Amino acid sequence: MTTQQEFALKQSQQYKNANFSVCLSFALTLLFLFNAYDFAQGTWNFVWGIVTAAYFVISILQGAIALLLKKDLLTYGAIQKRTRLLSAVQLLSLFAGNLFTAAFAFRMLKKKDSIEYTLAYYMFLTQFLVFAISLFNLFKPYVSNLFMPAMILLIFAMVIELFLVIILAKTDVEQGVKPLLKWLGIIVFLTGLTGNVFGLILGYSLVMKSRSNDASTIDKWNQFWMSMTNNFTAMLGFLFVFLMLAISIASYGTFVSSFATENDYGALLLEPSLAHPFGTDNFGRDVFSRIVFGARISLVVGLLTTLIPLVIGGFLGAISGYYQKSIDNIIMRCLDVLYAVPGILLAIAIIAAFGSSTFNLIIALSVGSIPTYARTMRANVLIVSNLEFVEAAKALGENEWKIIFKQIVPNAFAPMIVKASLTIGSAVIATSSLSFLGLGVEPHIPEWGNILKIGSMYLETNPHLAIFPGIAIILLVLSFNFLGDGLRDALDPKLDS
Amino acid sequence: MKRLGFLLAAFMLFITGCVKTESDVKDDAKSAPKGKAPTIEILGMSTSEDSMNILRDQLTKNGFEVKLNIQPDYGSFTAQKEAGNYDLSVNSWTTVTGNPDYAVRSLFTSDGDNSLFADKKADELVGKAAKQLPKEYQKTYKELEQHVVLDNAYIVPMFTSYKAQAVNNQVVNESTVRLPKSRAQVWEKYDFVDPSKRASQPLIVHQQIASLTSLDPIKGNDGSINTLNTNMYVRLVNLTDDDKVVSDGSLSLNHAIAEGSKDYYFLLRDDIHFAAVNNKKAVDTGERVGAEDVVFSLNRAKDQKSVPDHRTYSLHENMDSISIINDLSELDGKTADGKTIRKALEAGINGEIKQLVTDKTQANNESGAYQVVKITTVNPFPQVLNYLAHQSAGIVSKKQVESINTYDVANFDINKDVPYGDQRTITEGASYNNHLYASGPYILTYKNDYEAHFVKNPAYMPGTENEAKVNEIVVKFIQDADSALSALRNGEIHIFNGVPETKYNLVKEDKKLTLQQNKSNGVSYLAFNMKGREVSKSVALRKAILYSVNQDEFISFYQGNKMKAVSTVSPLVDTGLKVVADSKKAKEFLNEYLSNK
Repeated sequence: MTTQQEFALKQSQQYKNANFSVCLSFALTLLFLFNAYDFAQGTWNFVWGIVTAAYFVISILQGAIALLLKKDLLTYGAIQKRTRLLSAVQLLSLFAGNLFTAAFAFRMLKKKDSIEYTLAYYMFLTQFLVFAISLFNLFKPYVSNLFMPAMILLIFAMVIELFLVIILAKTDVEQGVKPLLKWLGIIVFLTGLTGNVFGLILGYSLVMKSRSNDASTIDKWNQFWMSMTNNFTAMLGFLFVFLMLAISIASYGTFVSSFATENDYGALLLEPSLAHPFGTDNFGRDVFSRIVFGARISLVVGLLTTLIPLVIGGFLGAISGYYQKSIDNIIMRCLDVLYAVPGILLAIAIIAAFGSSTFNLIIALSVGSIPTYARTMRANVLIVSNLEFVEAAKALGENEWKIIFKQIVPNAFAPMIVKASLTIGSAVIATSSLSFLGLGVEPHIPEWGNILKIGSMYLETNPHLAIFPGIAIILLVLSFNFLGDGLRDALDPKLDS
Repeated sequence: MKRLGFLLAAFMLFITGCVKTESDVKDDAKSAPKGKAPTIEILGMSTSEDSMNILRDQLTKNGFEVKLNIQPDYGSFTAQKEAGNYDLSVNSWTTVTGNPDYAVRSLFTSDGDNSLFADKKADELVGKAAKQLPKEYQKTYKELEQHVVLDNAYIVPMFTSYKAQAVNNQVVNESTVRLPKSRAQVWEKYDFVDPSKRASQPLIVHQQIASLTSLDPIKGNDGSINTLNTNMYVRLVNLTDDDKVVSDGSLSLNHAIAEGSKDYYFLLRDDIHFAAVNNKKAVDTGERVGAEDVVFSLNRAKDQKSVPDHRTYSLHENMDSISIINDLSELDGKTADGKTIRKALEAGINGEIKQLVTDKTQANNESGAYQVVKITTVNPFPQVLNYLAHQSAGIVSKKQVESINTYDVANFDINKDVPYGDQRTITEGASYNNHLYASGPYILTYKNDYEAHFVKNPAYMPGTENEAKVNEIVVKFIQDADSALSALRNGEIHIFNGVPETKYNLVKEDKKLTLQQNKSNGVSYLAFNMKGREVSKSVALRKAILYSVNQDEFISFYQGNKMKAVSTVSPLVDTGLKVVADSKKAKEFLNEYLSNK
């Protein structure tokens, strides 16, 4: 292997992506295989057997593609057309629900990496998943009143997005955009308002590129998003977070809330089935619906408990970083006192004093993390406020508040974003832990910690009651962590390749 | 393309036709109430969270707004209750004496020690039933239930529970563990599988509540002390596993009821001494448990003013006088079946009663010198024996209690005075000063937040079958039933009383464990706040709630391991009444309430 060949192999994001997908796909196959065999009775489950077989075929195909890719890169230094065509077959794996191989297949279809194309197919994937998840409601005894119109809207959005994927696969929009695409961008932006944030980003990207003449803005945008879209794990993180967001919004139309909140004594502790994909809990409530509705609370609480300390801590940090000595000392010492109280204890104390409700929960969790945000912001402001452009602004006699919030803060904000995305995960866990301890939201409200709490009581007899909410929490936290890692890679100038 | 779109549209239309929507199913839309129903605040402990959730669901479905107030422990629950921060509180009542009078007296009478409401007719009915024999009182209790539950909805019944107890059969000899319907656990019978461990190893049992109300038997009557006091103080009589009153394992060798059911005679045994704690070890004080102590204990039990916070006087107010008999001829009176009382008292004992003594130190059963206590009731009242089997009738030492309780009852100050049995005196720490005198098989040496230690009373019927076998018993305090079950399974505790209904199968499948089941006298019910709330004033509102609560749903949630109830007397007397949930009625009453507002 020459160094050149080695370089081609190392540089190829597709190759990495292919291997990653093979691993995940095989892991899922093994999991399903484990599920398909009933150890107590020594029999095979037919449905799980079929799923296992499908995933096995997909994994083998993916393995073959990875091998072909390696051969292509070593012999030709570039990916060949037949490999791309073979990958197109993998698009079908979407119907088996294998996201990893499907995302890879979409990626292989376009020769040149493109931000807009990547965003478009992830947007389509998200929409597809929302649609597929909502479709499970058809197995229920009845659906919500808005189910049909909502599903038609979802299909409509999916069709638009599929067209968009096709259009973007064929055109190159890195530098400039035709005016026609601007209108498409606006439509996409609007579909993004349904919770599919990929749409917002893509729409903004298209509109901005069609209007802006500032090459540096476009370049900055491209650099950031190129780094993000090339990062497969970060995109998976985005995908899951946006999926949760989109399903939370779509569930207003497609899910029946009484399945999640009203007790049904005729359906206690049922095993997972098509009508109840995750089974039912000890009150006969559908765990699948509960998890979907719970996503709302987990996400809202997670986001707000990050946003509130980000704003308050960021503000305090910026002030104390800019106005040195006395103000700095007063603010930071006060925050040090707050910092000395363990966050979760503070939260428990606040909730014990004011009672448990979602609002109190948000406040309780927010207060504890203000100091860490203030510290981060202060450190950054200290660095930035000594730079020349700040000096220049001061020399021009600019108002101090304007200097802080127009010059310094925007340039000191990147680490805050990274920090925020990494701490959302812990906020979600803190929310769930408090509910698990009976201190969070009221017990009947579908919140992931509450659902897990019931599961913990039936760990031996009905383990699925704990497994599914547990997986949901793990995935959401993991996604935010992946996302945070991606953001750090994209925003950190020291890691620039 | 056009054709495809058309096909798609047709297909969608077809699907739309097939799918039932929420409004199709629920078009029998609830007849809307005439206004906004008041918000009902339900107070309960976290251990009854499941029941509260079912209640919330049922009340919500019947048009109420519901707010849950879940308190983590019994202490904060009582605090909230005393502050009146509730409309409905989730309570349970266990008739530990096994007689119907106890099931109603302290709850339904105006001057009861746990009185829920004041109602003259209820007072009359409770009083009337107390004087009656089982054949007659069934009708009276039916009338009482009709009045209290169905007509006035002072309480809302939820269910009657079973008792379930799990025993670690690898450690404890399961045949020595009784599961009586009413009385508390019988510790003196407990034994290990390997008897050689009796002296070296403690037997570990479990209790939910860690904060002990009082170790003075008359000052508490709740789950925190019932079992402990029952095993620490001997009584004149005991209950069998199916609620019959007997003298077995009690201070009396025999007892007899004189003709007319007003006079009751008890022949005392002489082989029980009080035990005290010295250096965390039990020592024999040499002081015999005798008739003087019985007279003292029962007199203070019936006198509301004998101690501050007397919680059990209403159980004993039927007793008129308690006396020591010194005249042998008094025993020549007849019992109901025509025998002399003397014969009845002598049945089954070795030898005969030659002499009666009034000084307990003079008693000597071997030589025929006995003590006999006579109790006279205000009215003919055979159920008095059940009350004498209750832990609050436990015998305390006259000498010791009088020497500790030197405070003035009227000016009692909890911060200054230390009453007999105060849990501060046996809690590890600076205030530790164990002054307990136990007449029962075990005595409490010390406790902390996690466990209480008991050791065997060395002078409790030594050499008889009632002598305690295991030297040390530890009571672990574990509030959560699921945690307690885990503790049992990993060997941390040996006997677990109160297996959750949803976990019976788990215990049955575990080979190390044996599940014992029995019916119980425990009824869970909802009590209304009868002071200053909407529910206190409006019978219609209370009835709307009564008819919203569906007992069948509770039973199916607890996997069939609950029974229906009408009132706290249901497990003891079958009155034939039923409370049937009825949404329609509930809505009618709610509307009636709203239109009268």
